[in-house]
Amino acid sequence: MMDERADTLVLVIDDEASIRDGCAQVLEKSGYRVLTTGEGLAGIQIARQEKPAVVFVDLKMPSISGMEVIDILSKDNPDMVLVIITGYASIITAVEAMKKGAYDYFPKPFTPDQLRAVTKRCIEHRSLAMETRRLRKEKEQVQQNFITFVSHEMRSPLATIQQYMEALTVIAGESLNSEGKEIVERCNRRLQSLCELVEHWLDISRIEAGIFNRKMESVNLSSLILKSIDELSALCRQCELSVTTEIAEGLPGIEGDEESLIRVFVNIIGNAAKYTPAGGRISISAGQDEYYVTASVSDTGIGIAPDKIPVIFEPFYRVKTKGDTQKGSGLGLTFCRKIVEAHEGTIDVTSVEGEGTTFTVCFPRGHSRR
Amino acid sequence: MTVKKKILLIDDDKDFLMATKFILESGGYEVFLAEDGKTGIEMVKEVRPDLAIVDMMMETWGEGFNVVSKVRSSEGGKELPLIILSAVDLQGPYQSFEPSDEFPRVDMVLHKPIKADELLRSADRLIK
Repeated sequence: MMDERADTLVLVIDDEASIRDGCAQVLEKSGYRVLTTGEGLAGIQIARQEKPAVVFVDLKMPSISGMEVIDILSKDNPDMVLVIITGYASIITAVEAMKKGAYDYFPKPFTPDQLRAVTKRCIEHRSLAMETRRLRKEKEQVQQNFITFVSHEMRSPLATIQQYMEALTVIAGESLNSEGKEIVERCNRRLQSLCELVEHWLDISRIEAGIFNRKMESVNLSSLILKSIDELSALCRQCELSVTTEIAEGLPGIEGDEESLIRVFVNIIGNAAKYTPAGGRISISAGQDEYYVTASVSDTGIGIAPDKIPVIFEPFYRVKTKGDTQKGSGLGLTFCRKIVEAHEGTIDVTSVEGEGTTFTVCFPRGHSRR
Repeated sequence: MTVKKKILLIDDDKDFLMATKFILESGGYEVFLAEDGKTGIEMVKEVRPDLAIVDMMMETWGEGFNVVSKVRSSEGGKELPLIILSAVDLQGPYQSFEPSDEFPRVDMVLHKPIKADELLRSADRLIK
């Protein structure tokens, strides 16, 4: 305990020599290291150089006031505990000092016991505050490390397995019988959804950690939609679905990241394809008003039960219906909503069971072409 | 008999090396493997490959760039066709890497996993 105190520096800034000497005597006797000065500016300089644990500052001093010293020092170093000492203690000055960053105020005159008690309390407060800051920083670091860890430790093996599947197809693809080929195909599909899950999870984590920083540029909604449809054309043909578009001409640009927005539309249109029986129709429209650019994706699919609508954007929720064979990441719509919200947009859904579902995405018009 | 063209693969993921080797061998190439950057740089001098494929993410992010820099400044490495592989980019999965003044010149960037036909086409094109 004594050793610890010898490392603990207390600075006393007071123009009254008797207070300085008295404080120094009491605190040194308790084992603290003490520095004193009678002048505010000198005090600030000493505090910056020596980084004391606790600083006692007199409120009334000739050149610079105690309040100003507190104001400056509190911005300097969060690990320094500042205490006002004053012969004119009032609630008003106390509140003001606290507002400026003082931890406490201390009325004069005081006894050695009171000084020791206050100093001890200040030091305890300081260790707690430092510990809290350290833990908070550590928590942020852990979160960041986890994202980095997942992105490497999950993507790498996935990429390697996919590369082996490629190698297998090259080496043995021709000699496999139809069952073998189907197994390879099914493995590839499951791998693909696992990759999507990891990517969605990473994007969501990045947005939540505030480190989502994609390119933000003026992007064209109609070209986004057409690119998304293009990606899904094979799936729609396979599912025997017709896709129609009705995109207003001259849509203004929106500020955004093209790749992530394409992912959003691929997700929504892909969902429509998954949940619409063969022979159905997916219609996509886009338009604008004074403030917003809006796109809607409607299908003639199985629809969503009213009680399920509020939860479909929740992570890992998937509408379970009889004979549901759909495989998804369970993060697709969560991803869509996070991305849309990161673009200051909204995503909404209306649905009638057995008739179909409409997803509507709405973005503010881009600044550059307003 | 024609002499097979040589490709050097540098990646610290042994399985990825194997998988990629199978694909490249199916295209008629002789494939050499290095599991770390240091070995890779030595093998550039010994093997004199016609193409090197380097993983960007070895041990620490950017290790691949150090390897590329050292290859570029080594004897015979200046004109060696180079493909850099990226699996993880810290900004997001869809962002592509653009070589700039800060980074050594690479001839191509491919994203893991690589489709067999894309890998073979790229190798054919760079080796000619």
